[in-house]
Amino acid sequence: MPVTIVVPQLGESVVEGTVGKWLKKEGDAIAKDEPIVEIITDKINIELPAPSAGTLGKITIPEGTVAQVGQQLGVILAPGESMPAGAAPGAGAGASAGAAAAPPAAPQRVPTPDAGAPQRGAGAPTGTALEEPQSADGRVSPAVRKLLKEHNLDLSGIRGSGAGGRVTREDVLTHVEAGRVAASAGGKPPAAPAPGAPGRAAVPAPAAAQAPLKPIPGPSMVAPGSREEEVQPLSNVRKKIAENMVRSRHTAAHCATWDEVDMTALVNLRGRLKEKIKATYGVGLTYMPFIMKAVVRGLREFPVLNASITETEAHYKKYYNIGVAVHRDSGLIVPVVHDADRKTLLQLAQEIEDLGGRARADKLTLNDIQGGTFTITNAGMFGATASTPIINYPEVGVLGVHLIQERPVVRDHRIVIRQMMTLVLSFDHRLVDGTPAVQFLHRVKELLEDPESWLLDSI
Amino acid sequence: MTSPIAAYDLGRIAYREALGFQHRAVSARAAGAGEDAIYFAEHEPVLTVGRGGTPESLRASDAMLKARGVEVVPVERGGDITYHGPGQIVAYPIVALSALPSGRDMHRYLRDLEEVLIRALGTYGLSAGRRPPYTGVWVGERKVAAIGVAVRRWITFHGFALNVDPDLTHFDWIHPCGIRDLGVTSMRSLLGSAPPRAEALERLCSSFAEIWERPVTKLSRLPDSSSTPSSETLHA
Repeated sequence: MPVTIVVPQLGESVVEGTVGKWLKKEGDAIAKDEPIVEIITDKINIELPAPSAGTLGKITIPEGTVAQVGQQLGVILAPGESMPAGAAPGAGAGASAGAAAAPPAAPQRVPTPDAGAPQRGAGAPTGTALEEPQSADGRVSPAVRKLLKEHNLDLSGIRGSGAGGRVTREDVLTHVEAGRVAASAGGKPPAAPAPGAPGRAAVPAPAAAQAPLKPIPGPSMVAPGSREEEVQPLSNVRKKIAENMVRSRHTAAHCATWDEVDMTALVNLRGRLKEKIKATYGVGLTYMPFIMKAVVRGLREFPVLNASITETEAHYKKYYNIGVAVHRDSGLIVPVVHDADRKTLLQLAQEIEDLGGRARADKLTLNDIQGGTFTITNAGMFGATASTPIINYPEVGVLGVHLIQERPVVRDHRIVIRQMMTLVLSFDHRLVDGTPAVQFLHRVKELLEDPESWLLDSI
Repeated sequence: MTSPIAAYDLGRIAYREALGFQHRAVSARAAGAGEDAIYFAEHEPVLTVGRGGTPESLRASDAMLKARGVEVVPVERGGDITYHGPGQIVAYPIVALSALPSGRDMHRYLRDLEEVLIRALGTYGLSAGRRPPYTGVWVGERKVAAIGVAVRRWITFHGFALNVDPDLTHFDWIHPCGIRDLGVTSMRSLLGSAPPRAEALERLCSSFAEIWERPVTKLSRLPDSSSTPSSETLHA
C-alpha cells in the first residue's frame, strides 16, 4: 500500500510551512526515518523523516511551495508497488496513509497553497477536460442521478459546469427551469447555451419563436472560462514591506490633509539653475531638495510632526533625518538623508541622487535606511496627481508630493495658468492634532510658493 | 526529565569544522549513541545562508569577502543570511526534541531559545525581549542575538549567536533585508564593556537549565577534538 508523506503537526501556532529542499528524487530508495524533505517554518528547518521504507513514488508538492499541516507532500511506494494508474492520489488536507489508494475526489492540476480546499478554478471546462472523461460517461453524483430520474431526463443536452464538464445538480435544475420558460413561450426547450456562457441558462427573448438568434461571439484570444493564475512565493523584501505596511495601518490613526501649491516660481528657478548646476557639479537638480528644505523648516515650526510615538511616550526628535521613498523593482525602500537641516541644497541634491542610485543597485547600508524622523514620497514621478501615503511607522507624518502640471487657477478674479502641485500630508492622529497638521502643510506650501524668501539663508 | 544535558566549549573553531561536527553529533544522537548536549563556539568571520536566504541578501562584494578570507556557507537551518565572527557566543544545542518541555512544538522550541537568552541577558541588567513576528532577541530596536534552527530525525541542531563583543561593522556585509530593518547591537555596546566569555557561558548554561527544566553539566572542553561523538555520517 503506498504511504503518503504529510506535513506533520509542528506546534500549536504552526499551520503551514514552505517545502524547502527535496532530499530525495522520485524513484530514489528510502530507508525508514531517513530525512526526505525539508519543511521550513519561521526560522526552523525541519527535515521530515520517511514514514516507511520503499521508493519515493511521487513528489506532490514542489520545492518553494507553501504546504498546510496535514497536506500530502509525496508518496512512498513499498517494494514492488507502482503508482496507481491515473497518478495523483487525492491530495486533500488530512490525507493519511492509505488514502492514496482511494479514488481521487477531483482532479488536481497545480498544487496551490490552499490545496486542502476544493479548487474553484479547476472546475472550468478547459484544461481539466483532457484529464477527466466528459460527463457522457455517466459519472454523476447520486444526487444528480436521482434528480435526473425525477424529471425523467438523461444527460444528453445538459451542459455540465462541474469539474471536467461534469453535470452538477445546478445544471440539471437550470436545464429544467430553462425548459419550463421555453415551453411557456411556446418554443422547444433550448439546446445547450451559447459557447462562452457555460452552465448559464440562455433565457430566450419573448419573440424567440421567429428567426433563430445568433449566439454572441466571445473573444477568440481567450479560452472560455480560463482561470489561469500564477503562484509566486513572496520574496523576503516583499514580506518585510507587507509587515511594515500592515503594522503602520493597524497602529497609526491615519488621517490625511491636502493642499494645492503654486510651484510656478520654483519651476522657473529650477529651470534657470539646473543646467548650470549639472555642468558645474555633475548633480541633477530636482524639486526634492527644495521640498526637503521646506519640510525641515516646517518641522522646526511644528515639532509634533518630527516625532515618533509609543503606547506610553512621544519622542520629539531634535534632529531632522528625512526619508525619501524610492521605487525599486524588488520593492519600495526608504533611504534616509541624515541631518538634512545642516546640509545645503546642493549637498541634499547630491545625497538624494546618490541614495536613489544605491537603492536601485541594492547597495544601501543599514545606516542608510535607519533613523528617519519624517518621510517624503514622490508619486508624481510616475504621474500621480494625488495619493494618500501610508505613514512610515513609527514616524507620525509622511508628505506625498505629486505631478507638477499647468492648471487653471483664479488669481485676482481672473483665470490664469499656473504650475500646480497637490501636496498630501498623512499624519498619525494619535499624536498629531488636525490643527498643527494643517498648519504645517500650509507652511510648506507658503515656502514652496515663495522660495526666494528663504533660499538666501539656506544656500 | 532529570537526565543532565552536557555543555561543551569548542572554543575558536572554523565554521565548516563546527558544521561537520554538528552533523556527526546529530547522527550519533539519532542513533541513540550520543547525549543531549549544548556545544558553544566562536567562529572566524563567516557568512552563513539559511534556507530562507537569497543571493540578494548579500551586500558585500565577492572581491572584498575574498580579500578578507570570509566564506559564504549555505547551511540547512531556517532563516536568512547571518554573520558569525569573533566576539560572538554561538550555541549549538543538539538535543532530542522529545526530551524537552517543548516536545515537537517547533515554535515553542524557538520561543524557549529566546527565553534562555532573555533571562541570561537579564542577569546583566539588560531588558531584552522579542519583536514578533521576527525571531531573535532584541534590546530596544536592535537585535542582540540571532536564531536559526534545524531538526533532523527530531534532533535539533544549529542554534543561536549572541553578540557579546563582535565588530558590528561586519554586519554591514549583509543585506538589511527590508525597508526599515532593525539594527544590530552587542552586549558591549549596551553595557559599556564586554563581560568575560566564561562568565557569560555560565549564565547561559544556568538559563538553559531553568528553561529546559534539566540540569546542565559544568562546562568542559571536549577531551580531544578528534573524538567527536561518532564518525557515522548520514550526509557524507
